Amino acid sequence: MRLRLPFMRSIPTAWLQPLTIVGLTLAGVWLVLAVLAPWVAPYDPLAQDAPLYLPPSAAHPFGTDDIGRDVLSRVIWGARVSIPLAFLLVSLAFLIGGTLGALAAYLGGWVDELVMRAADLVFAIPTILLAMAVVAALGPGLVHAVMAVIVVSWPGHARVVRSLVRTTMQSDYVAVARLLGASAVRALIVDVLPNVAGPVIVLAALDLGTAILLLSGLSFLGLGAKPPAAEWGSMVSTGAQHFESWWIGVFPGLAIVSVVLAFNFLGDSLRDIFDPQSVTERARGA
Amino acid sequence: MKPLLEVSDLRVDIGGVNIVDGMSFELQAGQVFGLAGESGSGKTMTALSLLGLLPGGARTSGRAMLDGVDLLTLDASAMRKVRGRKVAMVFQDPTSTLHPMLSIEHQLTEHLRYHLGMARGDARRRAVDLLTQVRIPNPDAALRGYPHQFSGGMRQRIQIAMALACEPRLLIADEPTTALDVTVQAGILRLLDRLRRETGLAVMLITHDLGVMSAVADRVTVMYAGRIVEEGPTADVLRRARHPYTRGLLDSLPHPDAGDVPLVPISGTPPSPAERPSGCAFHPRCRYALDRCRAEVPPLIALAPQRAMACPVDPLVPVLVA
Amino acid sequence: MLRTAPSGISISQPSARTNRLIRAIVRARTRHPLLFFIGRRLVALVLLGVGVTAIAFVLTHLVPGDPAEANLGQRAGSDPVAVQIFRERYGLDKPLPQQYVIYLGKLVQGDMGESEQSRRPVRADLAEYIPATAELALTSIVLSGVLGVGLGVLAALQQNKLTDQVLRVVSLGGMSMPSFWLALVSLYVFFYQLSWVPGSGRLDPVVSRPPAVTGMFTIDALLSGRIDTLANALQHLILPACVLAAFNMGLFTRFTRSAVLEVLGNDYVRTARAKGLPEHAVILGHVLRAASPPVVTVIGLAFGNVMTGTVLVENIFSWPGIGQYSFRSATTLDLPAIVGVMLFVALVYILANMVVDVLYGVIDPRVRLT
Repeated sequence: MRLRLPFMRSIPTAWLQPLTIVGLTLAGVWLVLAVLAPWVAPYDPLAQDAPLYLPPSAAHPFGTDDIGRDVLSRVIWGARVSIPLAFLLVSLAFLIGGTLGALAAYLGGWVDELVMRAADLVFAIPTILLAMAVVAALGPGLVHAVMAVIVVSWPGHARVVRSLVRTTMQSDYVAVARLLGASAVRALIVDVLPNVAGPVIVLAALDLGTAILLLSGLSFLGLGAKPPAAEWGSMVSTGAQHFESWWIGVFPGLAIVSVVLAFNFLGDSLRDIFDPQSVTERARGA
Repeated sequence: MKPLLEVSDLRVDIGGVNIVDGMSFELQAGQVFGLAGESGSGKTMTALSLLGLLPGGARTSGRAMLDGVDLLTLDASAMRKVRGRKVAMVFQDPTSTLHPMLSIEHQLTEHLRYHLGMARGDARRRAVDLLTQVRIPNPDAALRGYPHQFSGGMRQRIQIAMALACEPRLLIADEPTTALDVTVQAGILRLLDRLRRETGLAVMLITHDLGVMSAVADRVTVMYAGRIVEEGPTADVLRRARHPYTRGLLDSLPHPDAGDVPLVPISGTPPSPAERPSGCAFHPRCRYALDRCRAEVPPLIALAPQRAMACPVDPLVPVLVA
Repeated sequence: MLRTAPSGISISQPSARTNRLIRAIVRARTRHPLLFFIGRRLVALVLLGVGVTAIAFVLTHLVPGDPAEANLGQRAGSDPVAVQIFRERYGLDKPLPQQYVIYLGKLVQGDMGESEQSRRPVRADLAEYIPATAELALTSIVLSGVLGVGLGVLAALQQNKLTDQVLRVVSLGGMSMPSFWLALVSLYVFFYQLSWVPGSGRLDPVVSRPPAVTGMFTIDALLSGRIDTLANALQHLILPACVLAAFNMGLFTRFTRSAVLEVLGNDYVRTARAKGLPEHAVILGHVLRAASPPVVTVIGLAFGNVMTGTVLVENIFSWPGIGQYSFRSATTLDLPAIVGVMLFVALVYILANMVVDVLYGVIDPRVRLT
């Protein structure tokens, strides 16, 4: 099964199959869990009627936490928080960053300078620092955490889109299209966008994982989701405070790992299909 | 005189597809042996098989005797001692075949020191000699330079100097002038010619350009789809070509004496190795094709000592263009 | 002096003096490319610093959070007199632009103000916490660099075989694990269950700090010959450094792999083999050399990742470094401290970039000589 679109290189199927399948399966499982949580989770995530600090058992496969809630149910419900937020986050970051990047590349001049300097500024500050500052300024809470992560993520998308648009604009076939009379806008949509789509999809898939890590990190620090919400990062934080009851923190963390891993597998396989050069370009800030 | 290199029945298969089908030829020291053919004819693979540089998954059979040793049966470490030392190779594009980040001195001397154990100073002096031999001006300064600072023609000369560093017996040159300007080409060819006359070096010159062949090769072997179709002294092959493919190649070249006679291209395209036609590989494009040409592979017929071609059609069919 | 171009637009001709000036600058630039390069970088640093301070300023003043109340706590914070005193002390009652200018002025003199939290000059705070983080960060970068690059080369040479597939999963795994979770798990296993390493801090309480030279306990202990202090410091250092290194190790493996694969397909590798060079010389001398520019770039970027990671890791390991400091400052809106940290980080970023650029020039002569 090999699709042939202009921006693809064919890859040896041996490399593609196992990892994509695993990634798709994992992601699929989590999506299903997130959607069906109310029916799949054995207990109410907020119910505190179980005995405290129960280790994993048949009744509570992931044990119970410090105030008697079933960890498994909370982990499943946690998917409803992290996954949709991650998608929302990456979409917004891409919309904002991608538009800015495309504009910067297309219009050039001071627009380009402005966007790139702003991106540089954000890059110079470590993500979590900036996110922390934004959240601290706006007040803790998941919404603010999401906004913080968007602020931190848009430059990555902007840079990639900008360099892709620039390369495509300089390429011969766009020049030919213009010569043949296509308007600038038409050339942009028909010729530039399909080339931009590939690496952007790869970046988006990988960014999903980064977004989840950052969101849960902020929640772990107490800057994101507020208790008693079932969010994986804050659950790990609770687990850190009750070290001996290792199940409280380990299972939510495993959930994070598996979701991020799934997205990373997917993104990596996708990158094999689309041009892997985009990574090097992005790193050098082309 | 005993030949320097004797290749018998060389076959190369890559991924189950036959690329080279039973090549046999001989090279003498001090001779320029031309291997002519279009892309896909297997000429580069023939050369790479002699040096063990075929891609992974390639299988070879046959024999290639150099100084009493069969090159095709050598293990990796024995092969490494042959490469650069007894047999050296120069490739087509001098821009990509020189390492962009290593100095000229480094690239000229590293295998000198590895093969011959030379000390740094001696190696450097030898490098200067080599650059002088290939007529690079200002060799001392050139050694400190990097490939991107030189023109295409100079880079090719540097590549040749690099190949000659350990005084190999045989130099394989794969399309050495194709990537260069016509004016620069002549210089490189003159250089190769001078080297073999001065040092007794044997040169295997691989190219699709018959003009280059006629300028410098002593013998020409024409390949088509992995097989030899014609061979002999250059002048004879190029002026009195017998095989329909060779004649087709020559007919399609512009000739100053041809007057208004139109160019006659060979119809069709050369087959890819996976789609080689049955029998004589050229038969779909050949105007003289007979039934038996489809049925069986024509053997190489000797027309004279050192002169052969592989076509059953009456060899006395008159040549169309002189 | 105005000249009119054929299209009717007037162009002003630069004066002769400006021309001379421009020519002089161009001459100086061609003669001393390295100086100009560093000079440009310094200018960028200053601009970046100004930008950073502006951002921090805007953030902390934009919003509902009141630094006075946040710092004074509930009781004092509801006392208007205490709040007023606090405000006057830290100049919070002056108009914003004025506060900013005052701050910038002090900054130029090296005064980053006092931290509202610790009541100390921010400079002193930074001097105390930076070496701890530096020790951690450098160790983790060395670990992840050596391992990551080595494994990446291995993966490239074994392309598509089992080793490669396994390494792919491992490296992606390293990049998928939240550092705070990995820290907790590893602490649980290696400290709580196995007792192989201590649980927190940089040294056991009974061990005294070595005489301060760099502030990094391991180096200082080595320099003063205190081997058991060195051993103790290393014991404390090893686990957080490994946890911090996990993400970057995965990243470097991926990057090195693709860089090496890119290079392996190039003609000059074939030439090196055709010269009869032994395989290790081909890989090390030719392939790695050509593959290093993107790898160096990524290692430079990794510093940013490490700074991010320290906030979480230092938190869990009770490592008294910049990570913890920045967390405290951010959550209490301690403006001088926040800006101090951001400036420090921006400095590291610029320096890392500069080192990368210089290394590029060393590795690739085409960059150096054009």
